[in-house]
Amino acid sequence: MSSVADEISQDVTEAAGGPERAPERSRTLWSDAWYRLRRNRMALAALTWLFIVVIAAVSADLWVPQHYGSPNFINTATATATALKGPTAQHPMGTDDLGRDVFSRVVYGARISLMVGVAAVLVMVLIGLLLGALSGFYGGLMDAGIMRVADVFLAFPYILFAILLLSVIPGAKQSLWPVIVTIGLLGWPSIARVFRSSILSVKESDYIEAGRAIGAGDARLMLRHMLPNAIAPIVVYATMSVGGAILTEAALSFLNLGVQPDPVKSPNIVTWGRMISDGQSYLTSNPGLILWPGLAILSTVLAFTLLGDGVRDALDVKMKD
Amino acid sequence: MADHKLLEVSDLKMHFHTRDGVVKAVDGVSFDLDCGETLGVVGESGSGKSVSAMTLMRLIPMPPGRIEGGEALFKGKSLLTMSDADMRAIRGNEIAMIFQDPMTSLNPVYRIGKQLAEPLQLHKGMNRKQAETRAAELLDLVGIPHASSRIKDYPHQFSGGMRQRVMIAMALANDPDILIADEPTTALDVTIQAQIIELMEELQERTNAAIIMITHDLGVVADMADRILVMYAGRAVEYGTVDEVFYQPHHPYTWGLMDSLPRPDMTVKGVLCPIKGQPPSLIHVPGGCSFNPRCPYAKERCRIETPLLRNIDGTHMAACHFAGTPGFTRGEMECAGVSA
Repeated sequence: MSSVADEISQDVTEAAGGPERAPERSRTLWSDAWYRLRRNRMALAALTWLFIVVIAAVSADLWVPQHYGSPNFINTATATATALKGPTAQHPMGTDDLGRDVFSRVVYGARISLMVGVAAVLVMVLIGLLLGALSGFYGGLMDAGIMRVADVFLAFPYILFAILLLSVIPGAKQSLWPVIVTIGLLGWPSIARVFRSSILSVKESDYIEAGRAIGAGDARLMLRHMLPNAIAPIVVYATMSVGGAILTEAALSFLNLGVQPDPVKSPNIVTWGRMISDGQSYLTSNPGLILWPGLAILSTVLAFTLLGDGVRDALDVKMKD
Repeated sequence: MADHKLLEVSDLKMHFHTRDGVVKAVDGVSFDLDCGETLGVVGESGSGKSVSAMTLMRLIPMPPGRIEGGEALFKGKSLLTMSDADMRAIRGNEIAMIFQDPMTSLNPVYRIGKQLAEPLQLHKGMNRKQAETRAAELLDLVGIPHASSRIKDYPHQFSGGMRQRVMIAMALANDPDILIADEPTTALDVTIQAQIIELMEELQERTNAAIIMITHDLGVVADMADRILVMYAGRAVEYGTVDEVFYQPHHPYTWGLMDSLPRPDMTVKGVLCPIKGQPPSLIHVPGGCSFNPRCPYAKERCRIETPLLRNIDGTHMAACHFAGTPGFTRGEMECAGVSA
């Protein structure tokens, strides 16, 4: 180092309060956010509950009273004897009209709800981020075009549009994909709008201009410089949307439009919406058939909403303490 | 390269087409620049200093901006007509830029080292590890202590002066031929300003880069520049070496600028001599000489005929009908009594 630089660094060192630097760990936005999230009790409770639901759904085969494959689960011949029983030690939530263990079905139902919920949100986030970024970054005709398409999507009645899409999208009724794609296509306009506005506010930043001035191209500016600065609202919105997607999936299943069991190939597919739909006829005699899947939907959706709330507070720099 | 200077700008015009009319932000600016030379561009806010520089870097969004004429040759190649890809290869590599506000010019989500590495990865094809090693060297070069641990910090952990050092390090990462500094010291306090200028001068000596120093601080350019371009309302009004412009200014606007500076030898305490009136709207630039409404020496001719930038003596140029006319000299602090 030259003498001048030495001199300067000397000044800076003195200004910084001595040559020793405190061994302070660098904090990022995300590590700060994680710290704040952990101190938010509601969010922590929600996270814990979702963790339990995920673990239960994944490990279901190891411990539920009735397995997917077990005869009792599907065998209608022996069913009448065990059908519509109240809670017992063996069936903690009772049995349904076919003698199937409601508890096992609620646990298996979490699989489809979570998979559809998360995958559908991924689809809407992917489409929404891409179109929102193009719209906000380039503006002009591109912006007008994309936003009008989004408006059209938002103008359709939700369930009617879903029914329309489900009848158009190819794929077996037992497959999750049609439902995932449908919910994803229904949800992207909101994400695109949120991301567009957040790109618009980041776009004018000096560091974007500085990025351009060192020779970064459009793609690099968008992906490396804007995305990390504009993504926070999307994280919040996406977290809350998982709950919404689970609700939509349940509603579609309830209307017998979602994922459906095939009598031959996959008689055991369970969805919470379908369980409620099946349990309707026993509303007065066996309310448990509706109560338990209903509680499962309620608690999971609520957990995602609370978690989203917590993430929003955690990412809000103004609340920094 | 023999017949071309490093940068030749001639009659550059950048206009903005807005709803209210055409804003002639830059309306005919010419200058040239050699290696190792420093050009100071001075003028009031809105005189077109920054827009000229941004136009050279092609950083003005078009539309609303439109280049209405002129040429800018960098090593003989036209900066105004080359492809976007060629321009990107020049930005941050052969021509680099330092911005006014170091507090907002660094991306808050990336570590300093990663940002310093970016121009190296973009232009020198270095991988991440090489680039970050070089980033630490650069940080050390601009006088940040503990550089190798500091590259792991985020911008918010740096002070304004240190961030401007980082910006300078980023700009100099690829040994540019030209460094454009757009009011690099305006957002800093005075002691840090001096340090930053000293640093730029010292790095210029080492790399032989040409510097275009945009500022409204005459003190800064007097110190640093070899030549000075005075701008008013989008046009160059005076152009010459530092000595020419400071000791024998020819344009009444330059006189006004000099008189509005506080000087240690000023006899009347607390009385400065500002230029009267406001800078003109760039949509409705006054006819004739754009400075005529504020010029105490304006004659009928100034309202009708636009003066061209012309040689007055040797390399010294001014855009005033009367510049160089015997007897046309700066009044001695005429306004000293009119301060209120």
